[in-house]
Amino acid sequence: MGGALNHSGLENAYWGLMVVTYPFISGLVAGSFVVSSLSHVFHQRRFDALAPLAVLTSLALLIAAPLTVLGDSRQPSNFLELLTRDHLPYSPLSTFIVIWLTYIALMLVELYVAFRVTNARIGEGDGWWARLHRGLALGHRNTSERAARKDRKILFGLSCAGIVLAFLFHGYIGFVFGATKARALWATPLMPVLFIVSAMVSGIALMWLVHFLATRYVGRRPDRQVASGLLSYLMLFLLLDLFLDALDLLTSAVPEYAQGSAYYGFSHLLLHGPFTFSYLGVQLGIGVVLPLALWLVPVVRRSWPGGAVMTLAALVGVYAMRWNVVLGGQAESKVSSNTVVTTSVPLTGFDSVQTVLGVFAVALLLFLLLAWLFPWGQAHEAMSASPSSSDPAVFPGTGVGALGPMPAPAPGESPVSGGGDA
Amino acid sequence: MRGEQSRRSALKAFGAVGIAGAVSLLGARLRGLGAVARATMSKNAPARLAGKTVGRPKGAGATSAAAAEALYKLSPGWAAWTQPGLNVRDGWSEPDEWMPAIENSHGLPYTHNTFSRFEAPGKLAHHWAMVIDLRKCIGCQSCVVACKSENNVPVGVYRTWVQVIEVGQWDRDPEGDGPVVLEGGTYEPSVRRFSLPRLCNHCDDPPCVEVCPVKATFKRDDGLVLIDYPKCIGCGYCIQACPYDARFFNPIQQTADKCTFCVHLIDRGLLPACVTSCVARARVFGDLNDPDSEVATLLAAHATERLDISAGTHPQVFYINLDGDMVDAATAFNTIYPYAAGTNTNQYDELTGRVLLQAPTGGEGGVP
Ligand code: SF4
Ligand code: SF4
Repeated sequence: MGGALNHSGLENAYWGLMVVTYPFISGLVAGSFVVSSLSHVFHQRRFDALAPLAVLTSLALLIAAPLTVLGDSRQPSNFLELLTRDHLPYSPLSTFIVIWLTYIALMLVELYVAFRVTNARIGEGDGWWARLHRGLALGHRNTSERAARKDRKILFGLSCAGIVLAFLFHGYIGFVFGATKARALWATPLMPVLFIVSAMVSGIALMWLVHFLATRYVGRRPDRQVASGLLSYLMLFLLLDLFLDALDLLTSAVPEYAQGSAYYGFSHLLLHGPFTFSYLGVQLGIGVVLPLALWLVPVVRRSWPGGAVMTLAALVGVYAMRWNVVLGGQAESKVSSNTVVTTSVPLTGFDSVQTVLGVFAVALLLFLLLAWLFPWGQAHEAMSASPSSSDPAVFPGTGVGALGPMPAPAPGESPVSGGGDA
Repeated sequence: MRGEQSRRSALKAFGAVGIAGAVSLLGARLRGLGAVARATMSKNAPARLAGKTVGRPKGAGATSAAAAEALYKLSPGWAAWTQPGLNVRDGWSEPDEWMPAIENSHGLPYTHNTFSRFEAPGKLAHHWAMVIDLRKCIGCQSCVVACKSENNVPVGVYRTWVQVIEVGQWDRDPEGDGPVVLEGGTYEPSVRRFSLPRLCNHCDDPPCVEVCPVKATFKRDDGLVLIDYPKCIGCGYCIQACPYDARFFNPIQQTADKCTFCVHLIDRGLLPACVTSCVARARVFGDLNDPDSEVATLLAAHATERLDISAGTHPQVFYINLDGDMVDAATAFNTIYPYAAGTNTNQYDELTGRVLLQAPTGGEGGVP
């Protein structure tokens, strides 16, 4: 059926892979942000080391997220209209611009505060790397314990507001679908909740992988406590997800309980139809049941490969959930009975696999840039209440902080040598 | 340090992947890139490109014809408002001139969001509506053609279409000499066929208006639901939100599009093209605020039905003699075949034999 731009026929699934990816990425944003707040807000000390990394991940994805919708829109040049038109609060989609801009602003402040002391310490040296970090600290020079304590207080407040925004950011996307009464498979008040819960699942799974890869990357062993803690949270949200899926099935897949069109869509598309594999097999089987089952086996649960399989499976399952919602919802015809609106995903060009990979690559690039600039390894050290009590095996005070400065700094000055106490 | 070297090469590799991906993304949307840059200019760029004087030059836009041209060259695939070739020749070029005329030529009070809160309906000049008498419709499709021609509707999309519907069922013929031969035996029809003209219902509570994030779609106080095309960002949300599938992406303009009740005609006291062309006078258009109008008298004299009223959209297209099962077509399970199913549905595939040759029931739908 050609590229997504070449639709023909009365009914078309106009929203393609980019719109599948948008809620996926924004779910990762929300989920990883909540992971960072485990330490900032809920004072779960074992996640302290993870928090700076989670902030960086969340910000990189937050910047990349709107690229998907911008790429999907037919008139991206008109995007400024989002800022100038009087549309609030009527359109669920329009709340995007408000929530996203607020969220970006908050994340930038959070980034600044979370790394202020570390940046100031690095700024004490000289050379361009130090000058750069003096700039990133906006001239802040105080690296005392008092200053760090103050920053923690600010972070607490910011993260509290951030959790609300993360939920709003992802909840509104669920509402975009939930509010569309024309699509029988979308129009359920469960939608925002389903989206938020699966966002938590994907964000936690992603942070597990990021933690694993990033610590391995800087030559350190990933922290077992962090990993098993994240896995337990993952299981909690998977169970919640399972519960919501069961609710969804009960209210949509039982003809006696469901609206006619919702039942029709559920049974002809998701349960016995083109989406059966991606719904039962991938979304529920691989995404929910498999990690839950693996987790029950202690050997698997404690092993690194086991954890990697569980988290990857959860991520794949969440992507499949977005796939089934966005493409599955559009496959049900609005005006013709007994009809499946067929769709296909082009490999290249508009709304294609290529553009989606491009968005992920942009997110990766942003993450690498941020992780290079912001020494996440030391940030935890600088922010922790009593540096001596932190697990020295994870991030020793003198350890390599960020992913390592790529362009080597001037000889004789390690870009991370400012990590010691002032 | 053992890891140092490999770490750097890994980082470089990741960075390369990232940059390659970014380039690929932007490449795939090159025209979008050009268009984003163009966003800083006024909407009059095409007219300027065509060497015309533009009414209200805005800021930097007034001196940017050369820049606009350069940007246009940068984004050759952009087939939309800012493509001068299309716009100027088709008379689409100067939104500043024709939009006010189309939007509100009679100076009616118009608002974007007060569609459900008419202050004093009696004082409004008009409330346009259509009544379609299905007893008279012969399914000739001339309204579809007239609409296409009047509104320059591109190939492949329709502002109005006439669905041909068979209700009933096909019975298995035990003797084996039914007219339709399928794998499982032969079948006899026990069906009834009728036509169902469809178009935008210009709903009084239109979800399409409510969801538009830039309020490009709006409801005029005389009842028309219209689109301010130059404002549309092409998100497609209104298309998803319309329960009647009355909207589509105009493949030339690259914006949402749909029936306007021929606003350019009715604002000049003429009838919509589909009404004028209807050979059976099945389509009747008029003003519900005028009790003597034909639509008002038809509504008073007949039992009428509207499509999908359970959606709560208050459609302003009324049908006489509509089959009750067809009110909500998507759940009308006993329809044998709606001919207007569209070329990208399993129905079409079945009709053309593609499904029979491949999988039993459109099994390939949805998954690439
Ligand atoms: S029929 Fe669809 S496009 Fe027309 S006003 Fe109603 S919801 Fe909007
Ligand atoms: S496609 Fe255009 S008219 Fe439709 S909701 Fe989006 S911006 Fe509004």
